[in-house]
Amino acid sequence: MIVTLHLIALTLYALATGLVLAPFMGYRGTTSRALAIAFPCAGAAAHVVALSQLTLVGLGPALSMLAFCLVLLQLASERLLRGSAVSFFTSPLATGLVGLAVLSGLSPGTEVPAGRNAWLILHVALSVLGLALMALAFIAAALYLLQFRELKARRFGQVFQLFPPLERLDHLNRIALVAGFPALTLGLLLAIGYGARFSGGMGLHVAKAQLVWGLFTWVVLGWAVWVRVVRHWGGRRAALASIAGFSAVLLVYVALKLVQPGAERFL
Amino acid sequence: MTDSVAMSIKVLGVNHRTAPLDVRERFAHGAHEVPAALARVIAAGASGGVLLSTCNRTEFYLVSDDEPALETVWSLLGERLEAAPSGGARTYGYIVRDRDAVRHLYRVSSGLDSMILGESQIQGQVREAWEASRAQAGPVLHRLFQTALHVGSRVRTETGLGMGTASAASAGVAVAGKIFGDLAGRHALILGAGDMAELAATCLSDQGVQVTLVANRTQERARAIAERLGGRAVSLEEAWVHFATTDIALCSTAAPHAVVTWERVGPVIAQRRGRPLCILDLAVPRDVDPAVAQIENVFLYDVDDLQTVAAQATARRRDEVPAAERIVEEETDLFWAWYGGLGVVPTIKELRARLDQLRAVELERALRQLGTLSPEDRARVEQFSQSLMNKFLHQPTLALKAAAEEGRGYGLLDALRRLFGMEPHE
Repeated sequence: MIVTLHLIALTLYALATGLVLAPFMGYRGTTSRALAIAFPCAGAAAHVVALSQLTLVGLGPALSMLAFCLVLLQLASERLLRGSAVSFFTSPLATGLVGLAVLSGLSPGTEVPAGRNAWLILHVALSVLGLALMALAFIAAALYLLQFRELKARRFGQVFQLFPPLERLDHLNRIALVAGFPALTLGLLLAIGYGARFSGGMGLHVAKAQLVWGLFTWVVLGWAVWVRVVRHWGGRRAALASIAGFSAVLLVYVALKLVQPGAERFL
Repeated sequence: MTDSVAMSIKVLGVNHRTAPLDVRERFAHGAHEVPAALARVIAAGASGGVLLSTCNRTEFYLVSDDEPALETVWSLLGERLEAAPSGGARTYGYIVRDRDAVRHLYRVSSGLDSMILGESQIQGQVREAWEASRAQAGPVLHRLFQTALHVGSRVRTETGLGMGTASAASAGVAVAGKIFGDLAGRHALILGAGDMAELAATCLSDQGVQVTLVANRTQERARAIAERLGGRAVSLEEAWVHFATTDIALCSTAAPHAVVTWERVGPVIAQRRGRPLCILDLAVPRDVDPAVAQIENVFLYDVDDLQTVAAQATARRRDEVPAAERIVEEETDLFWAWYGGLGVVPTIKELRARLDQLRAVELERALRQLGTLSPEDRARVEQFSQSLMNKFLHQPTLALKAAAEEGRGYGLLDALRRLFGMEPHE
């Protein structure tokens, strides 16, 4: 059932991806925009049912959760910030993440003792939300740089036509970073609290790789927020900072995963 | 009403395809001149008229059959020419009649006949023309213009003909929109006070941009534009410092060389701390030194760039022309069916009454000649005359109704009225 629901979500996300990328292939349909919103909405509905039956432990569930958060943020960006071009990136990314989650294995997983379940769900949900917001900041930054380059070079092609205005993308980047930092911070604090409460000591029972990557991500996101909020960076410089930060987080994750392979744990 | 129906709809005028700008300028009528011009044409025999006058066209829409009314239009326009060509004003003009005239107005209001394909300004101009001529329009033109506005709206909502930006000025607005998103509340500095600068500044102002400063070598013109748009007039020398704060700089001076140079604005723009500055250079020769575009957050666009954006929009609009033409054709059919059917019923009634009168006279004469007849025979003869008249009228009545439904009623009605001597109509 979990896998079937994931496959349904995957199909709907894939259809949405096809529709959002259609204008780049010259298709201009009047119904495509409505469907490009309806498909991820329907996919998210199937996805949330699947997630409710899943224990959020292991690589597959974590990737699935990340994809779900991305789709939710994509829909929120469309609705609140008219950042429709965000889906050019989030839609294929979410599709790919769900595909990877299915390949990594999605089983209900080991049952966590009832008292610990709430801690774990909150920790995973907040951490993944923080990551998804960081990914959204990265996507907004990438769109910003592409649109910036086209506008500076006076090219008025598909990017100019389809991407949102520069200032809206800058705003989206800022919001994603500022919202992502508290979410990730809370996620980390919950992890430390979880360790302290259920494993004794200072919660250092968590895997070393998890700790290293979690803290690294927190520091990078904190730096990106700091340069935006305290140093008042904006525009191209802030976009480059977001991209550099997110790339570093991804690279460190891949490096740690190579050291400690396996799908049974996120790290 | 039937008086109008007996006449045909005509469009006489000039447009951007038939007359050069200097001629169109002379033919242009201000709203205050419209009633007098139409009064002359109506006095010459037209039963109704609307005058549509824009920078690209001056057209008289008339309900008229009389040649004097048409001649009056040409002479009215000809009087405005300094040196009229041998053919007078008609050298520059055209006449479109009946169904084609209806289609013509629908194409005009849809933007299909505009110099900039699909431009939306014409819709408002058609409305203004109708309102300015309302007292003299008459019922047929009243309905024609009402439906023309409906057709314009349909074309714009059901097709992509009005999408994108198809003039350099509006392309400038679109490009600025791609930098700032919502333009409302942004500040603009205008360099130059020519027509182009004024048009582009108006486009920006329409989007909610605050035109704070207008800089020009001569202050009077700058002051006039600044007052109209709610800004302040300054000299060019005073303008440079404002490059530190403005969001959009619109340059359209008549200077023979670049006036916005790195030396003048480079240090000032450095104070912006990375905030984007959109410079729209609409002047030829260019007002802005291309080196200014090398400053990181400066986005500089010249006329060529903006025309590229406008041309792309026009190309996309061209794809929508068949769909727009279909709507125009559909609505023309509807109007023409209404117009064709307008006079059918009263004309048939009048024809029947006339023939019945003839029948009664002739029957009376025949009965007198036949002498004494029994009441049954008299009734039989009367019934025969009635039946004969009905049979004669049956086919023409059916044909006329069918033609009216197909929108061809006017031609047949006209023929019928002439054949049966129903002219002149009172």
